[in-house]
This record gives sequence, C-alpha cells and structure tokens, in this order.
Amino acid sequence: MDVKPNYTLDVRGEVCPVPDVETKRKLKTMQSGEVLEVLIDYALSKERIPQGVKEVGGEVLTIEEIGPSEWRILIKKL
Amino acid sequence: MIWQGLLVGILFGVVLQRSRMCFNSAFRDVKFSKDNYLLKMAALAILVETIGFHLVASLGFIKLNPLPFIPLAQIVGGFLFGMGMVLAGGCASGVTYRIGEGYITSILAGLSFGITASAVRGGKLNFVNSWFGKPITVNLQDPGIYNAVDGKVNPTLATLLGINPWIIAIIWAIILAIYIWGTKTTERQTTGLNYITGGIALGIVGIIGYLSQKTYALGITGGWINLLRATTTETSYNWIGMEVLGIIVGAFISTLAYKEFKLRVPKDPKTYVQVIAGGILMGFGAGVAAGCNIGHVLSGLPHLALSSILATIFFVLGNWFMYWYLYQRKQ
Repeated sequence: MDVKPNYTLDVRGEVCPVPDVETKRKLKTMQSGEVLEVLIDYALSKERIPQGVKEVGGEVLTIEEIGPSEWRILIKKL
Repeated sequence: MIWQGLLVGILFGVVLQRSRMCFNSAFRDVKFSKDNYLLKMAALAILVETIGFHLVASLGFIKLNPLPFIPLAQIVGGFLFGMGMVLAGGCASGVTYRIGEGYITSILAGLSFGITASAVRGGKLNFVNSWFGKPITVNLQDPGIYNAVDGKVNPTLATLLGINPWIIAIIWAIILAIYIWGTKTTERQTTGLNYITGGIALGIVGIIGYLSQKTYALGITGGWINLLRATTTETSYNWIGMEVLGIIVGAFISTLAYKEFKLRVPKDPKTYVQVIAGGILMGFGAGVAAGCNIGHVLSGLPHLALSSILATIFFVLGNWFMYWYLYQRKQ
C-alpha cells in the first residue's frame, strides 16, 4: 500500500503496555485523515492495536512484517 | 520428579508464549481498554482447572492444597504485587516467559522479583511476615479431598460454608461459562492460540502440573526462590524451580520455532530502573501473600481458596491503581 505516513512512532523494545499507550496518545493529537506509522516488536500489542485504536478514532490500514518479530503498522485517523 | 517439573515448565512456557497470556494485561485491558480477550482466556483456564482439580482430587490422585489464608498479607501484599506488575511490564509468569523471548527488561524484573521473594521467604527479610499475622485455618473432622495438617485445612468457600466442594465448584464453573460464552468477546486476529484454545491449553497444563508435583499445581514465586537458592547455595533444585527454568526454555524454543526471537532493549534508561522497582514490589508482595498471579489466580481460584480470592481482588486493584497513576493521570 502506498500511503505516506504523517508521523512515525518507534516503540520497539518498549515494555507492555507502552506501545499501546503511546499509539493511542499520538492518535488523539492527530487530525482527521492523517496517517501514523508505528514500528513495533511486541506481538501482543500488534494483535491488540487494531481493536484498541478504534476508541480513539483510529483505523489500522496495514500490518507489515519488517523483520523477525518486527512490524510496521499504518493507522489512519478517521 | 524434578525432570517432570522441567517438562511441565517447558510445556507451560510454550503455551504462555503462543497464547501471549499475561495477567497484567488481562486485568488492565478489561478496565482501561474495554478489551476482555485475555481475561476470558484466563477465565476459561480457571474453569477447566476448577473441574479438573476437583475431579483428580475426588479420584484420589491428589489432595487439594489451598494456599494459607493470611488476610492482611493478601490485602497488602496483593496490592503491592498488583502495582509491581505494571512497573515491571508483566506479571510473574509474564516476565518469566518473556525472558525466553529476549526481553532484557524481563531478566532484570525476574531476578529482582526472585531475590526479593527469596529474602522475604526465609531470607534476610523474613521478619516482615510477622507483621501480617498467622494463617487462619479451619478444623475438619473429615478433610475429604483436602490436605489436612493436624486436622487443620486452609479455608476455601466450601470449607467455610461446610458444604460439598463440588457444589461450589460447579456454581463457579457455571458463572465463568456464562461470562465466557454469554458476553461479547473483543475481536482479535491472533497468530498463536486464541482465547478458547489458549484457555483450554493453560487449564490442561495446570492439571498436569498438579498430578506431577502432587502438593500444588503451577507456581512462579517458589520456583524463582528455589532456582536462585539452589544455584547459589547447597540447596537442591526442586520440582517448582525446574518448572520456572522450563518456562524460560519452553518460551525460547517456541519463539525460535515461530521466528519471534529478538533481543529487545528499551531506549529510555529509566525503564530499567522502573522494571527493577516493579520486580522488588512483586517479590515482596508475592512473598508475603503466599503466591503470585499463577499461585493465586491461575492455580488458586480453581480451589475457591479464600486466600486466593482475596489476593486476586487486591492484585487487580493494585494493577488498576498503578496503571492509572502511570498512564492515565496526566491526560
């Protein structure tokens, strides 16, 4: 998918639940239509984020594996 | 005997890693994210164990051994443990299995947890136990499926009410079943076990653990204490020490097999201090409260032990308080 993210959040290495918390905090400050790129290596948060961001008006566009236990998630603010 | 502990631990480690079960997340998500996925997984494991433990005890394979009821210790220790697991980034089993996944912070949290718990249980901090009083027991003429010491049994809801333990066990299982299948489950795309398969697998490992260790099902706190003591002194390794070692080995094998192994290091140096402080609080809390989230929640609630019910309530309250303090307060 060819979406240019407006912001990048690198939460690789962070302990539970920092990846979820930081992602939601960032989304809250964003404008409608903007896209957030999250770099993450915590599998539980990767699986929890698609549902979790809905409450702050986010929608996961893609989850791409970029390495061993590393993912790039693109989230759009609705 | 101890090799069985290692095997059960490896099995437990694989299931924890594939199910991503974490009680820290389970308690927090249901309150702050309206996400009940992991709590339902835990509830199903507890349901399977409630029936399983009572069944294998009724068949005479084991005696049920509820944990000692020391109300003040379970209140204070439980709350401290609950706060500690938020700081440490995982519950006692969570930090243990994540060592096998390559989390450097979990090694620090696990060691500080184990060292503190060891100091509280028979070490230099042993005196703190006297602050919380003596265990409250009940005298039973016929202990039945329970393990009695001099006619005294650690209390459960059934012994408190003086009724057949199966009545309470079945009512509890029905309540859990209504929660699991009668309420809406948060959607989640998992790459490992889902909440049904993960919950059943965890419950079965718990029953195998009880049949193998005999004196109790699964635990973490006693295992860390034994692992550290047996390694650094003349003490011998025991079942539960090997079980904790097995969890790390099992999670490591599982992460390698599924290509999820990675050494993970946080960027902010403060995180290291935070997880060590979390481990110390958890070690103190579980040390005095007679158990952690595995001893009291996963293995203790199926007994309907008063100690485990009280400890679980304060684990949850401590968890909610610290999560609010760290992440919600400033918004």
